[in-house]
Amino acid sequence: MKYKKHSKFALFALIAASLAFAIVFLNPVQAKPPVSKAEMKKQMNILLKAVKKGDDLWHTAKLGTNGLACGNCHPDGSASNPHTWPKYQTNLGKVGTLREMINWCILVPMQGPMLDLGGDDMIAMEAYATYTHRGVKIAPAKDEQHGAVPVKSGPGYPLK
Amino acid sequence: MEKVSRRQFLGMSTKAGAATIVTGIFAPSLNSMIGFGGVAQAATKKIKPFNFAVLTDAHLYDINDHKFDGILEKAVSDVNKISPRPDFVLYAGDIGQTGLEAELVKGKKILDKLKMPYRIIPGEHDYYLDMGKAWRGLYGNEHWSFDHNGVHFIGMNSILVKDFWTAKKLTPHERMAWMEELECHKCGAWGVGSEQLDWLKKDVKNLAPNTPVVIMTHSPLWDYYPRWNFQTYDAPDIRKILSKFERVVSIHGHVHQVLYNKIGNISSAGLLSTSWPWPYPPIKLPYPDVKMNRADPGDFEDGLGTHNVALKSDFAGMMDYRAFSDLLPANLKRGLKI
Repeated sequence: MKYKKHSKFALFALIAASLAFAIVFLNPVQAKPPVSKAEMKKQMNILLKAVKKGDDLWHTAKLGTNGLACGNCHPDGSASNPHTWPKYQTNLGKVGTLREMINWCILVPMQGPMLDLGGDDMIAMEAYATYTHRGVKIAPAKDEQHGAVPVKSGPGYPLK
Repeated sequence: MEKVSRRQFLGMSTKAGAATIVTGIFAPSLNSMIGFGGVAQAATKKIKPFNFAVLTDAHLYDINDHKFDGILEKAVSDVNKISPRPDFVLYAGDIGQTGLEAELVKGKKILDKLKMPYRIIPGEHDYYLDMGKAWRGLYGNEHWSFDHNGVHFIGMNSILVKDFWTAKKLTPHERMAWMEELECHKCGAWGVGSEQLDWLKKDVKNLAPNTPVVIMTHSPLWDYYPRWNFQTYDAPDIRKILSKFERVVSIHGHVHQVLYNKIGNISSAGLLSTSWPWPYPPIKLPYPDVKMNRADPGDFEDGLGTHNVALKSDFAGMMDYRAFSDLLPANLKRGLKI
């Protein structure tokens, strides 16, 4: 009889533990709370630091060897069309990404060594170009594809 | 007004070669040209027809065998082959990129291969390392005028900004680096300034209103896209001073693109560079049909070129954009009426 008592207790304990585990770890109802304004600001500031770094890289001749910077041909990130990638690009000869196109520009017109596609510098340059093109519609073969984006003042992003 | 004889002109531009007197008229059928631009007015003084070439924006670096050296060499060679031979060449600024004397010297060496005399004005890339000292030492005055075959030619320095560097304690190299960035948002708008405006007033004071006038500046004499200094802040004053003339042709560098506008008596044309093309800024062009095709970044010569301007006896002008690659739409392949 003693055995039976123990068996009942073990079963009860197992059910209770399973319920507790489900409530704590598997609860499908409970979501993360919305991101607070303070958290949003913090995340945006981290992004803008990358954008600023990308702006600096965009306008330095140090990425190449012949004095040219990305900004020579692409002021305000113009004619980079970051919102349209991935797409087929004739110079790449394939469907490529903005990062691959940035590397093509560094390698061919600027005659410099290509950047690590996943490195911080490349991500920063992508962040700069993309930030300045927020909200731009994709319209293949239209003027906007090789024009610039309007920038009213400053560098094109909030600068601290 | 500075009267310049042909001999003086040759001397000033340090060229020894004699220019051919042009009697022919470079004029393809006007009916085939795009239908706007300056219409010659009956009262405009008759001139002796001639043509001249225009080059601009080589942006040379102090790097041996740089690709832009070769493109400027090609441009000079192209101009030397134009027939009939241009009477002279105008250069609209930015021969150098970072203002180094070595860049300006290299540019002069290449330009001196022109078989005709040339006149030149500074751009911001030539200027803000030493505030134009080396440029003046090599090329002379930043503004000038001369008369040729009945046309009054004016060149002015339009890239003078207010002092942004002293208060910030920038070094000359830092000042130059700021100005090198087209979208420099801390450098301010540029213009010709009050001294040159006074000079211009005096220069044109005794000219009759029916005198044909050509004015060259680095930047456009209208508010095109101020963020990239595609403007000259005191252009309204310049236009006012020149308003007494029946017709004025304005040509400018800096924009690295085919461009046209007409304001009052002034028709204005932008120029191709010999370095890199720029995309059109995000505004509606006043003459949207005057627009070059998109350049291929894989073709280093696409978007670049030289210019030949032919002036007829009634001062009707035709600008021929001599693009190095297939850049021009059909309506511009035979010239732009200016």
